[in-house]
Amino acid sequence: MCEGRPPPALALAVAVAQVLMHTLLAPGSARAVPPDAPTILRRADRAVLGETAAYTLRMTVVRPRKPERVVEMKGWKKGDDQGLVRYTAPPKERGTAYLRSGDSTWLYLPSAEKVVRVGARQNFGGGDFSNADIFRLSLIKDYDPTLAAEEVVEGQPCYKLELKAKDRSIAYDRVVYWVRTDGTFYPVKADYYTLSGKNLKSLVLSQVRPLGGRTRPTLLTMESRVDEGSRTRLEFLSILDDVKLDDRLFTASALERGE
Amino acid sequence: MTAARFGMTALALLLPASLLPAQDRQIEVGLEGFAYESATTSLNRDNVLGLDDYPGLGRLAVGWRETHGSFRAVFRGYVERTWGTAVDDTDWVVRQGYAQYWRGDKVGIRLGKQRIAWGSGFAWNPTNRLEPPKNALNTTLEQEGALAARLDWVPAAWASLALVGATTDVTPRDLPLATPEPERRNSVALRSRFVIEDTDVALVASGGKNQRTLFGLDVARDLGWAAVHAEAAVYEGAEMLPARDDTTFFRLVAGALRTSGENAFALEYFYNGEGYSDAGAQRWLAGLDRAWAAATDRALPPEARQQALAVYAAGATIPYAAGLGLRRNYVHASWTRGGATSVWTGAVRTVLGLDDGAFALTPGLGWAPRGNVTLNLDAILLLGPEDSAYRLAPVRGALQARLKVLF
Repeated sequence: MCEGRPPPALALAVAVAQVLMHTLLAPGSARAVPPDAPTILRRADRAVLGETAAYTLRMTVVRPRKPERVVEMKGWKKGDDQGLVRYTAPPKERGTAYLRSGDSTWLYLPSAEKVVRVGARQNFGGGDFSNADIFRLSLIKDYDPTLAAEEVVEGQPCYKLELKAKDRSIAYDRVVYWVRTDGTFYPVKADYYTLSGKNLKSLVLSQVRPLGGRTRPTLLTMESRVDEGSRTRLEFLSILDDVKLDDRLFTASALERGE
Repeated sequence: MTAARFGMTALALLLPASLLPAQDRQIEVGLEGFAYESATTSLNRDNVLGLDDYPGLGRLAVGWRETHGSFRAVFRGYVERTWGTAVDDTDWVVRQGYAQYWRGDKVGIRLGKQRIAWGSGFAWNPTNRLEPPKNALNTTLEQEGALAARLDWVPAAWASLALVGATTDVTPRDLPLATPEPERRNSVALRSRFVIEDTDVALVASGGKNQRTLFGLDVARDLGWAAVHAEAAVYEGAEMLPARDDTTFFRLVAGALRTSGENAFALEYFYNGEGYSDAGAQRWLAGLDRAWAAATDRALPPEARQQALAVYAAGATIPYAAGLGLRRNYVHASWTRGGATSVWTGAVRTVLGLDDGAFALTPGLGWAPRGNVTLNLDAILLLGPEDSAYRLAPVRGALQARLKVLF
């Protein structure tokens, strides 16, 4: 045995310790030093859709004692604040379209052939999502995040982020947001609160599966905390990330001309 | 319009398109039935309009839309049969029939009979002179377009420009009475639209033959608690009789839309600068009285009586054939409940004339048992003092039913 070399038992212990340390402290590990809150939020913002994306959606609105109603849509997004959604089914709603650009939201009503400016807090398509929920897919722009805790939610170890609205024009004053700690940064759940502290609704992101070339949550379920039993499911049917989109797609003129 | 022209227009637009595999095709068949309760009023002395107690009209409507990439063809029209009116007949009307082509997202052209639909106002659009005014009592009724060529240019996401040349002689279609054929208006209009600091700003200029030169401004913005808008126009010379050619008039619509859950509330104020004052309305009614007295004065020669009757008829149709309202100040309020995913939708719309107390109440119900079937039933009740604009109308109210099936 050479001087200075640890005995075999000790070497084994050191190796095991090194492996454990490496595993526990590796990026993405549940036990790693967590990234800062803005980084978590930024990564979570891109977990569902890329910087630009074209997608198809199915929205199902569930109301107590009423049959489920289904609407299908095509959507496009670019950056944090440009989005366009067109209804494709049912036939009576075909052509209805929502546009978001900056802080503005417009609705195109094909029956009146008219573009109407609407509020960001308006319910989207009669469901439990608001226009802001649909089109402001980036929360980092509107909220200041802090990392409150790590806890298990929906069976997943998560970072618990407290998001505080940057100003009073934002749809919700406070959002509690859970993001997976496993390095994927998939959002798992969000609770939305009013200025008075009332929990308005909760969002659960599930059905993590490959879609459009990468794995991501594909089902978003928004449940009302005000109207018991009311919830709305948004299911991504297809997604194309990083498509090239002209800014002129996100204009009132594009709304009027139709697809 | 003759049946032949109706059919030719439809075929010319749709035949080439239908031969191609459609990227998106929508076909629509509908039935519309409007029933009215007639009244003998100052505008219908001794029932000069010849209306039965309950005149009405029935329509079989069709719609066809084809999209092939950047190209689109649209046809919408109906066959109408009236009953209980002075001259019951069958008519064919093309509401819209146009072809559209867009080159990318930048430049688009649209040719044919089409809706222009300018302006942020819900019930009134003072900046839009290219089409007849919409029916403020029931804004959900489908409007007829104008024969036009439209060029759209979108140089940037925050700016766009629309240039339209249009010709129209369209009269209000949804009434059981014939209004005088208006002079054909040939118009050119330019509308530039900008988004500045999350505010919509549009500037409009229009004019032409038999058309007042008009300058308009349209502004809309979301204030959080509601989306608000204001649409204003200034022009010289009145649309309503008397012409008042040397007078500059101003019209303004200002309103707000607030939504909460499945509920939407809209409120809109309309100032119609060329509308009649109290004294003007009295003069108008007195003029009608004089004309009617002369028309029925057996001491006058028949030619003079006929001339007086024509003066009476022209004056009596001013509220329907001319501008956006007879008086100066109106408020439109509406509440609607329901959305894309609702089986039932409900609505109550009201228009209140602030000058004379005229009051129109329009409750409505919508039923969508399937995703491709809608049935709408609206009632229009014309209320208010007997000498108010709506009570002077030759009808007391209406029931309007519309069934639509889409394929």
